[in-house]
Amino acid sequence: MISTIIDRLLLSIPVLLGVLLFGFLLLQLVPGDPARVVAGPSAAPDVVEALRVQMGLDQPILVQFWAYMERMFTGDLGRSMISNKEVTAELAAAIGPTVELMLACMIWSIPLGIAMGTMAAVKRGSIVDRAIMAISVAGVSLPIFFVGLLAVQYLGVLWLNLPFIGRGGPLWSYDGLRHMILPALSLGAILVGPVARMTRSSVLEVLKLDHVRTARAKGLSERSVILRHGLRNALIPVVTLIGLQAGYLLGGAVVTETIFSWPGIGRLVVGAILSSDFTVAQGAILVFALGFIAINLIVDVLYSLLDPRVRK
Amino acid sequence: MTMAATETPEPKTETASAATPAAKPEDAPPPRRASWGRRLMRDRAAVAALGTLAIICLAALFAPLLATHDPYVNTRSVMTPPAWQTGGDIAYLLGTDGQGRDIFSRLLYGARLTLLIGLISVGLGGFVGSMIGLLSAFYPKIDAWLMRFMDMLLSFPAILLGLALVAVMGQGAVPVIIALAISSVPDCARIARGIASGVMKMEFIEAGRAVGLSDAALFRRYLLRNCISSIMIFISLRFGQVILIGAALSFLGLGARPPLAELGMMASQGRDFLLFAPHIAVIPSVAIFVIVLAANVAGDALRDVLDPRLQT
Amino acid sequence: MKVSTRTRNRLGLGAALAVSLPALASAQTVTILRQQDSNKYDPPAITALSGSEVLFMMGDTLVALNEDMQTIEPLLAKSWDVSEDGKTYTFHIKEGVKFCDGKPMTAEDIAYSINRWISPELKSGVAWRAGDVKEVVALDDYTLKYELNAPYSELLYQLAQSFGTVVDKENVEALGADFGVTGFNGTGPFCWESWDPRNEMVLTKHEGYNWGPPMYGEGAAKVDKVIWKIVPEESTRTVALLTGQGDVSYYVPYIGLGKLRSMPNIEVVRSDAAFWTNYIGFKIDKPGVSDPAVREAINLAVNREAMAEDMFFSEVDPAYSYVSKGALDYNAEVDAHLIKYDPDAAVKVLEDAGWMLNADGVREKDGVTLEPVIYTFTGEWAKTSEAVQADLLKVGINMQIQPYDATVIWGKLATQEFDMYTMGFPYVSTGDALNLYFRSANIPSPNRMNWDDPETDKLLADAAAATTDEKRASDYGDVLLKVQKAAVWLPIYEKPMQVAYVKNMAPIKPHNIYGAGLYKGLQLAFTD
Repeated sequence: MISTIIDRLLLSIPVLLGVLLFGFLLLQLVPGDPARVVAGPSAAPDVVEALRVQMGLDQPILVQFWAYMERMFTGDLGRSMISNKEVTAELAAAIGPTVELMLACMIWSIPLGIAMGTMAAVKRGSIVDRAIMAISVAGVSLPIFFVGLLAVQYLGVLWLNLPFIGRGGPLWSYDGLRHMILPALSLGAILVGPVARMTRSSVLEVLKLDHVRTARAKGLSERSVILRHGLRNALIPVVTLIGLQAGYLLGGAVVTETIFSWPGIGRLVVGAILSSDFTVAQGAILVFALGFIAINLIVDVLYSLLDPRVRK
Repeated sequence: MTMAATETPEPKTETASAATPAAKPEDAPPPRRASWGRRLMRDRAAVAALGTLAIICLAALFAPLLATHDPYVNTRSVMTPPAWQTGGDIAYLLGTDGQGRDIFSRLLYGARLTLLIGLISVGLGGFVGSMIGLLSAFYPKIDAWLMRFMDMLLSFPAILLGLALVAVMGQGAVPVIIALAISSVPDCARIARGIASGVMKMEFIEAGRAVGLSDAALFRRYLLRNCISSIMIFISLRFGQVILIGAALSFLGLGARPPLAELGMMASQGRDFLLFAPHIAVIPSVAIFVIVLAANVAGDALRDVLDPRLQT
Repeated sequence: MKVSTRTRNRLGLGAALAVSLPALASAQTVTILRQQDSNKYDPPAITALSGSEVLFMMGDTLVALNEDMQTIEPLLAKSWDVSEDGKTYTFHIKEGVKFCDGKPMTAEDIAYSINRWISPELKSGVAWRAGDVKEVVALDDYTLKYELNAPYSELLYQLAQSFGTVVDKENVEALGADFGVTGFNGTGPFCWESWDPRNEMVLTKHEGYNWGPPMYGEGAAKVDKVIWKIVPEESTRTVALLTGQGDVSYYVPYIGLGKLRSMPNIEVVRSDAAFWTNYIGFKIDKPGVSDPAVREAINLAVNREAMAEDMFFSEVDPAYSYVSKGALDYNAEVDAHLIKYDPDAAVKVLEDAGWMLNADGVREKDGVTLEPVIYTFTGEWAKTSEAVQADLLKVGINMQIQPYDATVIWGKLATQEFDMYTMGFPYVSTGDALNLYFRSANIPSPNRMNWDDPETDKLLADAAAATTDEKRASDYGDVLLKVQKAAVWLPIYEKPMQVAYVKNMAPIKPHNIYGAGLYKGLQLAFTD
């Protein structure tokens, strides 16, 4: 168990290095001179030159890369090219809301997806199964921005008057919760479908297994067979799926945060890229990649907890 | 066959392979193919989805013939609702947008660009991905490295990759295509690797090795030829997802440049009119939904008939 | 406007709900919705409205401008004397003025702020607005001497702008590059609490503030907190007001204004006291647009009346002159040179000048094809550009649109990369507008046209130093006529100031200074 985790951690190292390299290249490939971008178009040439030396841009590329890695590991991501704020400070302020949003969306969509998938598997071939599968495939096919726009239009403006601009305060406050509803609903909508589909097929798979058949033969009720023996094993691939969907979900968060003016990393990175704030963009992209690696690590650990074969 | 014969450095192996058990998989596909084709046609949803896709593709292909108006010419009739609503005009079947352009004509041209972006990126990503997957399966020595590299690519959500590329290359369809292609690579590589590993276990590979075939010949003639159709079908399943991500990027303002029509961009432009003329945003969003839904339903059906393990 | 009745009914219902469910946040917090953020809040370094509108609330200037846009009112200076030759201004500073941190403000601070504004190290793009300064010094704690090399009739108007906002030297030096980013110590009716870039700026009431301009009466701000919230999406700003998620905004899209006016819980007020013109400028030394015939043809080809009606719902007036006819020192001779919509004439002008259609349907002459690149803001401007693009395509000009976010476009517009650009600007008089754009010293920005004409420079200098109204009016009038004849711009529309606010707020009288409709924020108050 612990060795699995250590294994996974070690395997993450090359991935992490690759991600850092990508972040470095991003700033190298940006058109124009980074020193010129930072100094502004009206700065005198000598000012730009001084800045270039200060930023280490006159050094050979390997030296620059080494300096960059040093800064990354000491947590120095530089300053925003636009606001001159510390990138780490901007990121720190944005991570909370994004994590909040992701958790809030998973809290309703994953149980719902699992319930739908299990139901479909149990009533396989029935009208219920077909209806649930139709809803799921439709959910998988919906453009995330369309869900967001409809949520704003109908739940926000016309029917329920739920807030759709930004965060209303801390999550545990009444206003904070109200503000969370629409973004979490929209983002979760894209997750229900894949979870339901995966649950259904893995429950079906598990129901064919020997020990489930044995349990049935022993005369256990269908309900307890599914809940005690079926679902637990069926959840393993679902957990894996959630790891795989993490990237999709992070991408969805970018759009959702933009639509709902949610002050998270997604909105930060879109704003930074649109305003050529490359240091912030770099930092945010690194955070996203780290988040993805972390989610997959957690998924692997969960996986080993759920699957007795891996546990041993 | 004849082409392969001229390319083979050792022509005599041609007969050898034909006589060995390796011929089996070559013979096997025809009956299987016929049966999956027939089974697919029995699935009414799949037939409907394939029909829809075909119609949309044809409509997009013949957009210049079908369009009732020039998609780029503005008129004084702005925000006209669709013909069936009060205030609609039969001349503008789906109404006009905020600049007085015919939505139906823009939809045709928009679908064209959207489908094209999807096709090119799936094609490009699929090609590179399946090559990596095949090589991975063929040379177990580099397998771990290539798969680590794929993990790294996987840790950048496609939307983020698109954002980064737009930052570097500027707004346009090209960075979007590259981003979508790159983000398709890891998935395609995994699929190809899975399929190829299965083929690598087959006897005829051993047989080919035994008769002293070169790696190149073995790879091209046995591995590639036996995998290619399954790989292509599985890769085509990504089409729907790629279209969705592309639309999301366009929606964020990073896709094609105006006045070019693209479905995601049309939806994003319609957003400003959501309260007053919702059809401007809703029609292109629904169009994306229909395309992706059809692609997904067709894909599910294909997967079901092709992968007996998942058959239920 | 065509709105289906079903939508309308539903909207009515939603709004009724909005009335019955007032925001739960403290009623003493005003949320102002706006489109974009500034990249920092350092008075002389920021020329965008998004910076000024917040600085007016956080800081004070020597003098204030009345809503009529004519009368100068006391602010930090309680009175002032002007010397006979018009070169020396002596300001008598109010006592008891305090910074947000409680430190008393003196004439020394004002001198520091003005000198910082015009210092060459800061490279402020608006240093010229302070006039040709000889010396600005504090004679004692409450007397400031402002000495010029030449008389400058607009000085007091310029000193009311946000660029001369008084800053605290210790604060500036302590924060360094973070000044206006992590904090700002001002003397305004509100104090900096926090700034989350591209999201929101929170200001709190400055307790004890009682030195505001007389037009707002005595006393401090009437609300505890002001939140400047960034909502980039047009439709979201409209519905946010409708549903009570925002209290006030002068960034409501034109499409939404009609709707808001019809709502029982929203008030929309309008002011025509000042001027704002949106125009597209040409870089007159770039191939293609360097030909006056091309610029004239573009003016002929773009249907601004249709744009004003169809895209801006008649909330704006189509513009043909560079400054509004109502502006001080407007030259009536210009009326004879306005270029109205006439696409056939546009084609004729182009063909007479030798610009013929090539195989791609684009006009070409001597190897130059008419495919000008326009740098534009995103949002409403991008839509305007798209309409211009479609109109130009009809006469064989294939304009290329390159949109930029508001935070980067200012840098891009200081380059020589583009052929055309979009810009909107507030002004109080003809002279204000002309000085901003047509002085050769202002190349490359804000004189992005590269209009380099010694005669213009001389006339502008003469007008600024003029001692009689007639002389000033005639000099400015000459410049206006000259640039208007050269067709260096494509004016698009003139817009009035319109402020929308929820009805449980006290009535708001829109201000017009630099387009900042709420100015000091001193009239923001709730009625319940």
